[in-house]
Amino acid sequence: MQSDVVVETQSLSKVYRDFWGRQKVRALKALDLEVRRGEIFGLLGPNGSGKTTTIKLILGLLFPTSGKALVFGKDATEVTKNERIGYLPEESYLYRFLNAEETLNFYGRLFNMPRAVRRQRVADLIEMVGLDWAKRRQLKEYSKGMVRRIGLAQALINDPELVVLDEPTTGLDPIGTRDMKDLILKLRDEGKTILMCSHLLADVQDVCDRIAILYQGELKEMGRVDALLSVRDVTEVRAAGLSALAQEELKQVIERNNGHLLNMGNPTTTLEELFLKIIHESEEHPGRRVRGVQEAQKD
Amino acid sequence: MVIDLNDVIPFFHWLPGALLYWLVIVAIVTGIATVVAWLVAAVRHGPIVAMRLTWRLLCGAVDDLVRMSPRRVAALAWLSIKESIRRRVVIVFIVFIVILSFAGWFLDPGSINPGRLYLSFVLTATSYLLLLLALFLSTLSLPADIKNRTLHTVVTKPVRASEIVLGRILGFAAVGTCLLVFMGVTCYVFVERGLSHTHQLTADDLRPLQSGPAGEPAGLQGYTSRANRHRHKVIIDPSGEGRLEMEQGHWHRLTVHKEGDKVSYQIGPPEGMLLARVPIYGKLSFRDRKGQVEAHGLNTGDEWTYRSYIEGGTLAAMVWKFQGVSEKDFPRGLPVEMTIGIFRTHKGNIEKGVPGSLAVRNPQTGEKVDVRIFEAKEYVTDVQFIPRQLHTADGQPRDLFRDLVDDKGEVEIWLSCVVPQQYFGAAQGDLYLRAGDASFPLNFAKGYLGIWLQMMLVIGLGVMFSTFLSGPVALMTTLGTLIGGLSHEFMFKLAMGQTYGGGPAESFIRMLTQDAVTVEMEPGLRTATAQTVDALTQFWMRLMAAVIPDFGHFSFADYVAYGFNISGDTALTFTCRAMAYLLPVFVAGYLCLKTREVAK
Ligand SMILES: Nc1ncnc2c1ncn2[C@@H]1O[C@H](COP(=O)(O)OP(=O)(O)OP(=O)(O)O)[C@@H](O)[C@H]1O
Ligand SMILES: [Mg+2]
Repeated sequence: MQSDVVVETQSLSKVYRDFWGRQKVRALKALDLEVRRGEIFGLLGPNGSGKTTTIKLILGLLFPTSGKALVFGKDATEVTKNERIGYLPEESYLYRFLNAEETLNFYGRLFNMPRAVRRQRVADLIEMVGLDWAKRRQLKEYSKGMVRRIGLAQALINDPELVVLDEPTTGLDPIGTRDMKDLILKLRDEGKTILMCSHLLADVQDVCDRIAILYQGELKEMGRVDALLSVRDVTEVRAAGLSALAQEELKQVIERNNGHLLNMGNPTTTLEELFLKIIHESEEHPGRRVRGVQEAQKD
Repeated sequence: MVIDLNDVIPFFHWLPGALLYWLVIVAIVTGIATVVAWLVAAVRHGPIVAMRLTWRLLCGAVDDLVRMSPRRVAALAWLSIKESIRRRVVIVFIVFIVILSFAGWFLDPGSINPGRLYLSFVLTATSYLLLLLALFLSTLSLPADIKNRTLHTVVTKPVRASEIVLGRILGFAAVGTCLLVFMGVTCYVFVERGLSHTHQLTADDLRPLQSGPAGEPAGLQGYTSRANRHRHKVIIDPSGEGRLEMEQGHWHRLTVHKEGDKVSYQIGPPEGMLLARVPIYGKLSFRDRKGQVEAHGLNTGDEWTYRSYIEGGTLAAMVWKFQGVSEKDFPRGLPVEMTIGIFRTHKGNIEKGVPGSLAVRNPQTGEKVDVRIFEAKEYVTDVQFIPRQLHTADGQPRDLFRDLVDDKGEVEIWLSCVVPQQYFGAAQGDLYLRAGDASFPLNFAKGYLGIWLQMMLVIGLGVMFSTFLSGPVALMTTLGTLIGGLSHEFMFKLAMGQTYGGGPAESFIRMLTQDAVTVEMEPGLRTATAQTVDALTQFWMRLMAAVIPDFGHFSFADYVAYGFNISGDTALTFTCRAMAYLLPVFVAGYLCLKTREVAK
């Protein structure tokens, strides 16, 4: 039986050193993460907080200074794990002298895919990202968003179990962003695991099941998005079709504690507010988890 | 031309020993690399963990090298080819054509040996262009990929570092090979076209020769018309058969048409200009002025390592001993070609040449028969034919194969200088039996094989260095290796302390103090320091000389230009050597890429 944990990091740390081995930046400090099968996991954090570093460590592009990164239970530096991974880098680092078809074909061959399978897959993916009309043009003629789409297609060429997306929506127009989000949800529904990082909070809020918030290389928060965003000392009332009088009356009714409520639940703040609050508090008390939200996570 | 006779060991004799030697070296290098890897890991993780890490690295390496997928390697090679095309390698070909068309104006087909000139030129031009191209392509590609981070997308696929390195090497090799083939064909056409010429000859150009005492006709003699700044002397026998004399290293075939009274002459294309002579070398030894055997002759000051000299008018002689000479291979006698150096202590007539004597001796019976006195000209390749029928000094007939070649098929050829106070000099390769001629186009192709091997070495080294150095640094390092390899012999001497005036530090001090190189330096701190520095440098140089491939050796250009056949053994041996060198280079490149952080 396959384990439920797809990605695991155990006190993963990374120190960037310069040529002489002197310490430059402590980019990541003892990170413990777990990404489970079938979920969309979001890494959040301001610029330079270590999101990309985490992803590179998980993919084996960097070697940890201490700690471990495990993917499918194997060490992150194992080559064979890549068979089941799709990776969309921060910017699409693709060969600009190839055209879309050649690009996808090339990456398909790196997966040792036989020709017939590859051809079908390439055609499907180009169709999916909507670049059928430009598939014979070199990538250097592409706009940023078009390159991004090819980057995505490239990440899905092997029908991966784990998709790692670094800032998936940057450079996409609103429709592209919407498509990307739909696609991420669709991939999840197909049973794939998604690990993404972003600072576009709305996107994260829309798609992620669980998130982790990093600040200066430290894990500040981790939990389910809905739990993290609930605010407990406020009651939200959503009612429809009430006249002003009725509303006034409703207030009274609520005051007397026996009104008829259409909807009563926990309203959510925006992720943006939460994010800013955490960053703000971290600056005041460095090295500590933010307390108020941590309690919220417990239930 | 210095022909290295060490190369002429038959391939299959050479192979087992060389293979063993190679395996030993590989084992030693692997051992050292393992220890170094362990040390590096031990510094960071402690000795026990380091042991585990090193073991993992070794197992991983074996895995990565054995389990390479041809499809992935092909895909990566294809990428390198695409990249080369994008970098406009075609421009190199255009530059090449431009160089050739300019060269067409400057190369003089009327020089003394135009064949040699043309061939040296095209081979040198091709090799420089191609090596430069290989240098740039191989060293800049991987660093650019790392810098642009395009490599991130590749290594996050199930691609092994070994496949990336091998794919690169193969891709660039394919590009280089294509260009080389194009260049080779172009060069061949260029040389053929550049050298081809013909002369005119009409009956008016010929004058009858002085007839004999009985008044019998002696034939005709004259000169052809001039072409490429030369003309040939023509001699026509009384029988009507004619021939043209050698000029500028070639001759032409002459056909005579007779129609009634009218005689017309037709001269064919140049012959003997583009040759692939197959030489059989002997072993050279010397006899001193009293006739005693010695390994070396005298030094006359110049060229001291290469040629040795003997004194004229004494018993001193140069003796070449040949093996495996049989009647079957040389039914009519022995064709001997030689290029003798002459050292004159008095000028005399420079134009005239110095008389020397040629003799044959049976090494078993000791019988020696003089063949003839010939005129040795300075550095002109002279052809002497030793016929089967010879005569002793008192007129007894001797048969070459029956009387002078011994039972083991061995025979000695003796050269000595007749004039006192003149000196003859030669090295082992300067006299040989010309066993026949091989196909020139094939030899030309073998010359290009040499360039190809050099190119492969540059590509391998370039890719290897580019796995851990940045583009420009990798470029400079590879270039340095290339230059070091081309001046291998000098470096080797430097390493062995065989040059005059000490090592670099000592030479530098000598330069400051303006001491001559032969003066012993006075003892003192300065000298001691200089010599210590030199000892360290020498160690380093020795190491480098052992590690850097002897690039110059892989060039067969001289063979082709001087018209010697490159034996199949030589070609095979050098191909094997290059591959034997490339394999560890590839593994080193793989290990460097594997152990580095791609995203750094
Ligand atoms: N190659 C490197 N050498 C030295 N320091 C680096 C290197 N790469 C990243 N860093 C440092 O590590 C820290 C984390 O960087 P990282 O790229 O992981 O941030 P990020 O969260 O992805 O930021 P962004 O949102 O801007 O992409 C930063 O302080 C950065 O300066
Ligand atoms: Mg980032």
